[in-house]
Amino acid sequence: MNMTTPIEQREFRIVGKSVKRDDVLEKVTGEAQYTGDIKRPGMLYGKIKRASIAHARIKAIDVSKALAYPGVKAVLTHQNVPRVLHYGSPHPRSASCTKDQYILDDKVRFWGEGVAAVAAISEEIADEALDLIEVEYEALPAVFEPEDAVQPGAPLIHDVGPGGNLVLDPVRVNRGDIDKGFSEADFILEGTFAGGRPHPAYMEPNVCIADWDGSNKLTFWTSTQTSFMVRGILAEVLGLPLTKVRVLVDHMGGGFGAKQDVFQHEFLCALLAKETRRPVKMEFTRHETFVAGRSRHPCRIWLKQGFKNDGTLIARDMKLVYDSGAYGSHGPGVTIVGTTAATSLYRCENVRLEGRCVYTNTPVNGAFRGYGVVQSYYALDIQMDEAAERLGMDPAELKLKNVVRAGDIAPSGHPIIGHGLEICLKHGIDVLNWKRLRSRDRTPDPKRPQIRKGWGIGCEMHGSSAYPGIKEQGNATVKINEDGTVTLLTGAAGLGTGAHTALAQIVAEELGVRFEDVGVIHGDTDVVPWDIGAFASHTTYLVGTAAKMAAGKVRAAVLERAAMKLQVSSDEIDLCDGKVFVAAEPDRAMTVSEAMGPSRGIPAANIVANGTYEPTKSYSFAAHFTEVEVDTETGIVEVKRVVPVHDVGRVIHPIAAQGQIEGGIQQGIGHTLTEDYLIDKKTGRSLNAGLVDYKMPLSMDMPDIETIILEAAPDPGGPWGAKGVGEDPIIAIGPSIANAIYDAIGIRFHHYPIIPEDVLKALREKGA
Amino acid sequence: MRRFDYHRAETLEQASRLLTELGDDTFVFNGGTDLLVEIRERLRRVRNVVDIKQIPGLSDITYDETRGLTFGALVTVGRLENLSLVRQRYPNLRSALASLGSIQVRNRATVVGNICRASPSADTIPPLVADGAFVHIYSRTDMRVVPIAEFFTGAGKTVLAKGEIVTGITVPPAADNIGKAYLKHGRRKAMELSTVGVAVSLAMEEGVCSDIRIALGAVGATVLRAPQAEAMLRGTRLDAAAVRNAADKAMEECTPISNVRASADYRRDMVGVLTGRAIKQALETFA
Repeated sequence: MNMTTPIEQREFRIVGKSVKRDDVLEKVTGEAQYTGDIKRPGMLYGKIKRASIAHARIKAIDVSKALAYPGVKAVLTHQNVPRVLHYGSPHPRSASCTKDQYILDDKVRFWGEGVAAVAAISEEIADEALDLIEVEYEALPAVFEPEDAVQPGAPLIHDVGPGGNLVLDPVRVNRGDIDKGFSEADFILEGTFAGGRPHPAYMEPNVCIADWDGSNKLTFWTSTQTSFMVRGILAEVLGLPLTKVRVLVDHMGGGFGAKQDVFQHEFLCALLAKETRRPVKMEFTRHETFVAGRSRHPCRIWLKQGFKNDGTLIARDMKLVYDSGAYGSHGPGVTIVGTTAATSLYRCENVRLEGRCVYTNTPVNGAFRGYGVVQSYYALDIQMDEAAERLGMDPAELKLKNVVRAGDIAPSGHPIIGHGLEICLKHGIDVLNWKRLRSRDRTPDPKRPQIRKGWGIGCEMHGSSAYPGIKEQGNATVKINEDGTVTLLTGAAGLGTGAHTALAQIVAEELGVRFEDVGVIHGDTDVVPWDIGAFASHTTYLVGTAAKMAAGKVRAAVLERAAMKLQVSSDEIDLCDGKVFVAAEPDRAMTVSEAMGPSRGIPAANIVANGTYEPTKSYSFAAHFTEVEVDTETGIVEVKRVVPVHDVGRVIHPIAAQGQIEGGIQQGIGHTLTEDYLIDKKTGRSLNAGLVDYKMPLSMDMPDIETIILEAAPDPGGPWGAKGVGEDPIIAIGPSIANAIYDAIGIRFHHYPIIPEDVLKALREKGA
Repeated sequence: MRRFDYHRAETLEQASRLLTELGDDTFVFNGGTDLLVEIRERLRRVRNVVDIKQIPGLSDITYDETRGLTFGALVTVGRLENLSLVRQRYPNLRSALASLGSIQVRNRATVVGNICRASPSADTIPPLVADGAFVHIYSRTDMRVVPIAEFFTGAGKTVLAKGEIVTGITVPPAADNIGKAYLKHGRRKAMELSTVGVAVSLAMEEGVCSDIRIALGAVGATVLRAPQAEAMLRGTRLDAAAVRNAADKAMEECTPISNVRASADYRRDMVGVLTGRAIKQALETFA
């Protein structure tokens, strides 16, 4: 809406400084209250009985022994819960979600799906009671791969949706003339790519507590990124007005996107509490966060591109198939975003894209940092490297030639602002002296002759906000107290990213008070303004702008009141660091506290302002320069050094932004080299649903990361030009590693994770 | 977590009696770093645990030039890892200790617990097998000493009879002409179960290998020796060709399985690579 507003240039007092985070003391002292820390008087513990079959009808379910077990207070099955078809990802303004789930159904669609729930006086008793529930299944034929699921005659997992196990109708994007493009190409590259099933493995397992009061109002604590969506869908399914559902979330131990579904256990917890008239807590085990949480969509991509001999990319034909697992969750959104993202990154006039999302009898895949784009840009960026190889060009040069620039149409349909990606690439090339790196002596070290070293580049761009898929809205309320301190009310969740600190910085900066004087109230749907949820790298961009708008209104009102007390016109005075002063006579001043407080005959001021912001989208950019070492005897790839160069517009909190980038790289290294949630393709059973055999890199495995944050392409849609940073780093690191492996050993990998066995096998095939 | 009953023993005699009398599903509770996880993950059915940590006399570490290194059942991995004697004389054991779990786990876990769990991938077993260690076993009727290679009868299985308790381990002394190494293959650098572990302990006399023991972890139901590979190396100067041939032989001697951590073929390949590297590293002790 205000894409044309010029970006304000000014000196900053608070923005751009790494102020002490408002939550840091609580967290390091262990005082911070997470949902799992909460205990209510008389609280019961809920547990879920999970299916030991991937696809089946429930013929009979006998809970009598469980109900009779001492300490058990209630048991729920599909026979005694409301049967309401509902969304798993209830984005209220999104066209891209799928109503395909019941709280409990008489059908099982994946191994590990909940089929019954127990509430008992202790977690142990609830757990023991699960073994006493007897379920008789009638097995149905199951499908575990999208390729099998779309075959004619494949068993249907759902009877809703477009049929044929499709979650949504194929997403198609056509631009230019694809046939003309290929006919003009000097050469064509074609390849297939495959992405595994990485899992976010957030530190805090899913957890919730439900408590009904005497007026039939539900208070619901839950670790969620989207408290208002949880409120909305709980109210809808339970048949309650929104006034009767209050959702609370304070500190969170991460979410990475996956905590923006409304989960089966959340409904069951609320219903168990209702049934027993006692508070009920449900907390996932680590095993359950895998089985019943959300992972990234495995993806198969076919990509064919036409190039001119001067490196111009002139045709792109791409088919993507995302594996949704047993339910739709974010499958539609991921498919749309991941597919349309492939219109961009590298310029191409003639584009034909087709994205599909397919149900399989496997655990549910959902939203996860990088939202479909991790997959599609892995393919795009690796094939661009292959084109450079074919042309005998430096990949940096070819990428630089083709990257999107200002004015190009972004996946959102809007022109891109600024040359962010070009500047990131150029900056990295300069800092690393890339030309020298390319022409370095490649003789192996005689002390470690089996080691080969390589460098690779990965590029990405990612939007802040889910526009146009979701018409977003950010809200903030700012109040100023009579002592001059300020309270910000926001619905934005604090996943652990420091978002509330950034919002407080923005309010303090705009209003003219000290950072320490701003308090943030969040995570209570009865108190804070409506919020769409913390996702799509948008909190600082979206809610930050709303908070700035609200703070601006409060500032104006404070100036007005101070002007009255100082007996000047409000345009003659200024407000800075909590002091109001006449601009021309700085000695004529008063503190904000004096301006706000009561004085003879005048009561204290009550100033409250709202900000509502409905953005389109901005794009952040990054180029990652990565060095790997490949052990040619073991196939082990070690990432040694990463120089990530990011453009995020105006930086609000440099250390927090850097932390996002480093964390994304760590997660991305895992996805590319070690992490894959494996499902047995015969039974649908999980093979490594735990942190022993699901291998996330730890601090010991981290390379040197020399983060460079540029403010190259600020976007007027965000506060002082700020854009998102949360998702970007995880997208660029993957292809940079794959390209570096090629540089080291001359072997192209088109999949992730690239595990040592794959590397060793490929080396032998190459040697043979 | 599943419920279980906790018993604290004040003496070996009492612990042994409890282990016998409490019936099946009763286990020694020492560091607990594996047992509690197994209970939580429902990998082991446990009704009773018998805590032996208050029993006096099980925390000692002694060394003498004839008997070697002896440590009690309560000695933690971390304590042993940080001993300069272990660092200097038992670099293979030290390397295994330092690669087990995390610092927090090592400060709680015991070496004897790691042995008694008898996991094929346990890090501390290969170096103790390569060094020819002995296990001290208490029962209410007598004490016995078992060579560690004979202690294991299968994956998770040992020669311990009901009521028997391992009180400590003795590792023979390390002469100046003995070189040692332990190499572990995993997907990450810490908090990692080994995909393959290879320990080597070798003696050199005037440039010739007079004795060598190669122990292979995670490639069989128990930690394996590679007797044919060892025989091929005894009496040689451990030159590159001899080492390569022996490493190939070790690949034939192991019996790996495929699982979620690695395929059998890959494990076998890594036995070859790590055996060669471990011998080389053991020789560097003298350099």
